[in-house]
Amino acid sequence: MIQAKRKTGLIFFPAYDWEITPTHPERQERLLYTQDQVLEEGLLDIEGIHEFKAGLASDEDVNRVHFCVPDVASRITHSHSISAGGCIEAARLVLEGNVERAFALVRPPGHHAMRVVHGARGFCNINIEAIMVEWVRKNYSHIKKIAIVDTDCHHGDGSQDIFWHDPNVLYISIHQDGRTLYPGTGFPDEFGGPGALGMTVNVPLPPRTSDRGFLYTVENLILPVLDEFKPDLVINSAGQDNHYSDPITHMAFTAGGYARLNELLAPDLCVLEGGYSIESALPYINTGIILALAGVDYSYVREPDLDPDQIREDPKVLDYIQELCDALLDAWRRRDEVVSSPNEFAERQRSIYYDTDGISETQNETLRFCPDCPGAFKIDTQASSGYRVLCVHIPRGACDTCRRQGHDWFDSANGRFYAAYLQDMDKDGYQINIL
Amino acid sequence: MILGIDIGGTHTDAVCVKNNVIVATAKVITGADLVDSISGVVRGLGVEHGLLKRVVLSTTLSTNAIIEKKYTATGMIVSAGPGIDPRNYFLTDDFHLIDGAIDHRGREYIPVRKDQVLEVADNLKKNGVDGVGVVSKFCVRNPAHEKKIHSLIIDNFKYVSMGHRMSGTLNFPRRLHTTYFNTAVMPIQERFVYSVKQALAELGIKTSILFLKADGGTYLSSAADRLPVETILSGPAASMMGAVALRKNTHTTLVLDIGGTTTDIGILIDGVPVLEPKGISVGGLKTLVRGLKMLSVGAGGDSHVFITNGNLCVGPHRHGPPAAMGGTQPTPMDALRVLGEFEQGDLNRSRESIAGLARELGQDSKDVASAIVTKMVDTIQKACDGFIGEVNSNPVYTIHEMLHPDVVRPEEIMVIGGPAKNLQSYIEKAFGMKCVVPEHSEVANALGAALARTTAQITLLADTQLKKLLCPELDIDMELPGRYTLNDLISFGTDALRKNTTYLGLTDEIEIDVVEQQSFNMVKGFSTTGKNMRVKLQSRPGIISLWGNK
Ligand SMILES: [Zn+2]
Ligand SMILES: [Zn+2]
Repeated sequence: MIQAKRKTGLIFFPAYDWEITPTHPERQERLLYTQDQVLEEGLLDIEGIHEFKAGLASDEDVNRVHFCVPDVASRITHSHSISAGGCIEAARLVLEGNVERAFALVRPPGHHAMRVVHGARGFCNINIEAIMVEWVRKNYSHIKKIAIVDTDCHHGDGSQDIFWHDPNVLYISIHQDGRTLYPGTGFPDEFGGPGALGMTVNVPLPPRTSDRGFLYTVENLILPVLDEFKPDLVINSAGQDNHYSDPITHMAFTAGGYARLNELLAPDLCVLEGGYSIESALPYINTGIILALAGVDYSYVREPDLDPDQIREDPKVLDYIQELCDALLDAWRRRDEVVSSPNEFAERQRSIYYDTDGISETQNETLRFCPDCPGAFKIDTQASSGYRVLCVHIPRGACDTCRRQGHDWFDSANGRFYAAYLQDMDKDGYQINIL
Repeated sequence: MILGIDIGGTHTDAVCVKNNVIVATAKVITGADLVDSISGVVRGLGVEHGLLKRVVLSTTLSTNAIIEKKYTATGMIVSAGPGIDPRNYFLTDDFHLIDGAIDHRGREYIPVRKDQVLEVADNLKKNGVDGVGVVSKFCVRNPAHEKKIHSLIIDNFKYVSMGHRMSGTLNFPRRLHTTYFNTAVMPIQERFVYSVKQALAELGIKTSILFLKADGGTYLSSAADRLPVETILSGPAASMMGAVALRKNTHTTLVLDIGGTTTDIGILIDGVPVLEPKGISVGGLKTLVRGLKMLSVGAGGDSHVFITNGNLCVGPHRHGPPAAMGGTQPTPMDALRVLGEFEQGDLNRSRESIAGLARELGQDSKDVASAIVTKMVDTIQKACDGFIGEVNSNPVYTIHEMLHPDVVRPEEIMVIGGPAKNLQSYIEKAFGMKCVVPEHSEVANALGAALARTTAQITLLADTQLKKLLCPELDIDMELPGRYTLNDLISFGTDALRKNTTYLGLTDEIEIDVVEQQSFNMVKGFSTTGKNMRVKLQSRPGIISLWGNK
């Protein structure tokens, strides 16, 4: 009989009746072999590992994070509410003390979904981790500082966007270098908004990085940063497409490596993101992650076709990673020395492409750079699908001036916009004004 | 005329049924020799033995053998490949790990080595082992390794069982336990069947013998020889099937079998008992044996009643019979005796035992007696709430099931077992639900055994990309024709089930259900390369038509 060292909850929701298209990577078959492996290994019979039912996220849960244009119902299906609801259930289990750690093994994923949602990007409609994070902060006021470590192979540009101005959410992403992979972002100079410098950390790794490179990054950059940040909650955005067999990426990570990464990181919560080597990688990676979370020996877990010599990284790759980690850690430790925006209002213009739905969006964002709070911001967004809307966000802990500024923006939206939206985090309020 | 016998830990009950009527019942104390108990109870029926057309036995034989570890040394030859270290699940030194690895699709990565198998077999033989279980990981996706090991050792061992024949369900650790227990109890079952047949023949009974299984179904003794592990925990299943036979409607019914020490809780939906989804546990170990979902709670008629820190406690243990029956400690039966709900035994002894508690609590005896009964019923009710909560918390894996959950809500309660009648009104009040105590509830267990249909379950997998079709339980492993659909697989399975009734121990009276059906497109790159189809079929558990349940 095997006993887990740490009580671990598993929310498994494979959505066997949902797909983007029958042959899309995000299809019904995706978690089938993972379930086969988990069942055959008897993981759910291990003393201390328990499976729980997913839940449904409500529109309020979604609106706490996103501005869905024109509304939530138009942008998501039930699969998305269950996937996000599965994450919320996982968080509930941990925060209520039912388990020490939990893993939401759910689909579809979410880390490419940004704050404004005109459609689907990178197979994501809504950001399931972000919805979980905001649900946690609303319901458990003692959770102040949260760290998300995104170990998906793709840069989590959606999660970065959502927490860009948030000084209490540290978002760290390790991913294949954006010069060689979708979405083409996630460079070291993307370091957080002017009021949250250092709260975004991007670690673009070269193609063919394998176990040593990933684990070096965790031990020499991520763990020291987490040690200093001292989060109340650590979330692993556990994409599995860094695997050597993944069909849409070019890394060389292994199941054993993923397990070790989670052992080192010791996250409170894991959320499945991408990972499309559904037969050769996911069954073994998920087994490894579950065992590592539960504190059960995973040393015999490996892919049956694994040949470590074949995928070991070039010493040059390791040298590059060491330099990158040194530079990033140094920059992070000196984040307060960076001179922030001297003006009251900081603006950024962006073009965003929704590859899954073929929509183009242009955004003009204005942040009130505030000495007293994270600062209110507004986003003027226009999409090729036809909607131009104004989105206003009043952050958690907003000062009176920022709160007034937010309401002014919302109230003064005119007929140029289809609608204006207002997110008020402290009041947990969401308003839509159709113009 | 048919005969059902339930050999329980304390009593052996028998019931004889003819044309929809119970014509005789008998009860004896279960002795050390179960065959004697069977002969005894059959003689007690006083029916003409030559007219018996069907004899069904529910026994604690394999359950006790497993729990008390009363079986001879049994070997295991195991191949696993990567994953959790299988040695975590090795129960004795006679478990041996050998080379070999198969993945979830059934592809071989590491072959089995003949020399290694022979060496292990040699060692087992030298240690005097007679029975060997053979298990490989993912054998239900490709039984080749188990079959190869089997062919290498079959001539040297009297009893050999293979993991894939136990169940088509994925779960390697449970398969290890199931195969081990099955092999271990094979000789015991064999000797038992032989003696029972002899004993019944001496009584003039020559019909075939069936055994009750944990899932509330029966199988012919020929199949029980091969898969004796399925008879574990058939006792609670017998009572549940008795409840199925005695029910008067198809309501969702919570069934309480109240015994001396414990109350067994189960549930019927549309007259069919709910099964434990992964398999039942025995001797503290999880198995793949299909069994009823039941919860046993330590509250029964003979539960020990005592006071701790000024609080009245009922159970969970039994310290002998009720005071009324010569026991030394107060019990709920004594409380019922004092309340006038129960007529047997010595009223004065009951009164004295309850009065002792009343003095300690400084309360009136009648009040204490009713507090005891309330406490006991409360304990049962709390357990039922937890049980129903668990039935309803099974995870689901499709959006459809998530949005349209089948919530189980009991509409009535059926109580069987000794104190059923005495507790009826208390239970009705506590649960706020109609509570039925059927006629013959005291022999529900033997009746359930007598009337249970034969059942079996098979698992089918078709992988059109690898062009293979598998049915582990029937040992079918064949190449698929070109085009194949889910309906093809279902009709193949239905035929296979019908053709193998003898092997599976089924009688002719079967109705086949599709328990599960799934079909997935398999994709490589961006094009479909095949279909992965999974089907589970069962012959439906229930009551034979002779009883004509209306
Ligand atoms: Zn990805
Ligand atoms: Zn402010």
